[in-house]
Amino acid sequence: MRAVVKDGMGIFTPQGFLDGNNSASFLSIEDIEATTKLNADMILVSLKKVVFFNRNGLDAFVKMFMRVRSASHATVGFCDYNEKKFKAIGNFYKDDLNFSLFLTQEVASLFASSFKNQSKNVLLYSEDKSQRAAMAIELHDNGHNPIITQTYEEFQEKAKAENAYDVIIENTYLGQMGQQVATRVTGNAIIYTVSSFLDTEIGSTFNIAYHNNSLNVGFRLFIFDAYKVVSMNVHALNFFSKLASSSAEYNATICFVGMTFEKTPIEFKETLEDSGIMFFEQMDDILQNKELLNELGASSAASVKNKRAINKVMVTELPNFIDATVATIEMMTNSQAIKEAAKVDKIEISDKENKIASSIGFYGDMDGMVMLVFPVEIAKKACELLIGEETDDIEMILDTLAELVNIVGGKVKTLLSEQGINVDITLPRTYPNVDALLEIAQDKKGVQVDLSFSGDNFLFFLTR
Amino acid sequence: MITKDKIDTYIEKIPPSSKVLQVTIKLLNDGELAKAAQIASQDLALSAYLKDLVNKPIYGFKTEVKDINQIFGILGVAKSQQTVYNYMITLLSPAKWKLFQLNKTSFSNLQAELSASWQKILKHLHTEDKELESAIALLPASIIVSEALFSEKIEDVNLLRSVHSIDLNTILQRLCNVDLFDICEQIANKWEMSPEIAQIVQAASGVKPSEDEKLNMLGKWMHLLLFYTLSQPAYIEAELNDFIEFQIEYVGDIYDDFAMLMEIS
Repeated sequence: MRAVVKDGMGIFTPQGFLDGNNSASFLSIEDIEATTKLNADMILVSLKKVVFFNRNGLDAFVKMFMRVRSASHATVGFCDYNEKKFKAIGNFYKDDLNFSLFLTQEVASLFASSFKNQSKNVLLYSEDKSQRAAMAIELHDNGHNPIITQTYEEFQEKAKAENAYDVIIENTYLGQMGQQVATRVTGNAIIYTVSSFLDTEIGSTFNIAYHNNSLNVGFRLFIFDAYKVVSMNVHALNFFSKLASSSAEYNATICFVGMTFEKTPIEFKETLEDSGIMFFEQMDDILQNKELLNELGASSAASVKNKRAINKVMVTELPNFIDATVATIEMMTNSQAIKEAAKVDKIEISDKENKIASSIGFYGDMDGMVMLVFPVEIAKKACELLIGEETDDIEMILDTLAELVNIVGGKVKTLLSEQGINVDITLPRTYPNVDALLEIAQDKKGVQVDLSFSGDNFLFFLTR
Repeated sequence: MITKDKIDTYIEKIPPSSKVLQVTIKLLNDGELAKAAQIASQDLALSAYLKDLVNKPIYGFKTEVKDINQIFGILGVAKSQQTVYNYMITLLSPAKWKLFQLNKTSFSNLQAELSASWQKILKHLHTEDKELESAIALLPASIIVSEALFSEKIEDVNLLRSVHSIDLNTILQRLCNVDLFDICEQIANKWEMSPEIAQIVQAASGVKPSEDEKLNMLGKWMHLLLFYTLSQPAYIEAELNDFIEFQIEYVGDIYDDFAMLMEIS
């Protein structure tokens, strides 16, 4: 069984009965190995569809948790259970509970380092005082507003208030949390949060694959939120110097915010500045300064100096990219997708109203990016199989479009590998409007193909 | 991926039940075990299936049982009818399984295990009706239909399921407005099985409760039994555990009773 990964969370969903006889069958050695390489911030096992489990049944998953955590520093645990199941797990593992328990996947997402939604009002209760404090700190660190209740009566009373809280947390336990460097996206900048002592560990806690993916999909500004950093040693200094050099190849900028040098040699700052890293006192010094943001490349790809043209290899492989897109749309809609027209030029979108887009990058033997632009209604139609219900929730539609473009990326990877070309795909990215896409794509030359299915048009753009 | 036309073609290709099977079922319906055995013996494949089944360890016979008359005698009317239906379902199974890691033996074991547990359940519910006993035979048809429709699309299915948690039944429903259990019902109709059988199996999908309280209750037990059986290591490894979605709330009111009957602790 494999985990489904979304927004940095890998979820296993076993069904039925979990006991000592069958739990190992859910997870082969290959499954565990694949999970350690997922680059997910959280690996969770949902108990939503499990009607019965005992300790032996959970043990196989707990062993997997330990392997994953030591390999990738991800947060691990169970989620989607009721109070009875929560108490049962607590009894099974009593003093040995070193994984987390999240009431729901939504609750878990609040603690995920690559969280998307911030500033949630969260009502919080745990019998354990230290757990209450730990959860509140984590939630606060992740940009939420935790409201802690000291007694169960107070919690019940407050929980009655309708629409007062975005999320209500109970029956949740924070085990050892992931030690990965927390990541979040603000506009076109990526913010990494680092804290305490920066030493050789940074090499394993910093998700370099995510960073490289972000460079590949067009991010150019990376900010290290270093308010809580106590000190940095020479190993960390080397790490950040190398990171700055490799990012410079993409014309990307790395900044540190809030870093003090009371316990770190001031020479380190000079070394880091020499390698291109910039220092700021406050986050707002960057984020509220549009001129500076433009200069640093966070608002437009126009600052990318080395614009790369599509090359012969890419044009040769173009049919594979088109085929992957066409096959995915056909698979998702059961209707035939037709190629209408193709041209090599800058992206041209005639009518920008009510359109959304998604992109996925690929890198390896060849590199580039596939972009798909849909009218919102057509995107809904293309994603009908995954959405399954009528919705105007634009967040949900964008999320599903990301899944669709992820499938396109997967197909591209397969089709290219059949010809001996090995590529990896990046995380998908979505754009709520055409302007957001054009910030990345407007000056890039590429192949634009107008496609249609069931008479509805959408746009495919392949670029580097 | 899967079109309505493909489903229609698949159903069209399902052969009607043979004369021998029709007569055997009719005689079993009339309680004519000896005559039914005589007719059934004419179908060598059916005879081999019956011998293979009744000599499985689950039946616990010390010496090999070979005679069809004796087999029908051991099984009794209701179970004999159920076994003939089980045999009919195996006629639809592929020569080589691709989507699920099954083979002739493991599929037949699955049928036998479901049948034995179903009999236990009906006894527990004090329900004696040969049509109801036979209903379990149709349930594994949903697995065969999944294999037939999705085996050529394994890569697409895997890619889809790697980014989105979705079961085969839902994929089919959303693409074609027809689900695996509708197709099972059509098979049941084609083979002139009792309408009650199809209704129970539809309810056993977990997403289409029956309006008939009794049939709905049996559907719940069958849904839970399916996941109890598919939680066995062999079937998890065969990748059957999540081919349809387990509706845990649907079976909430019978779980304790089920757990007691199956001695789950």
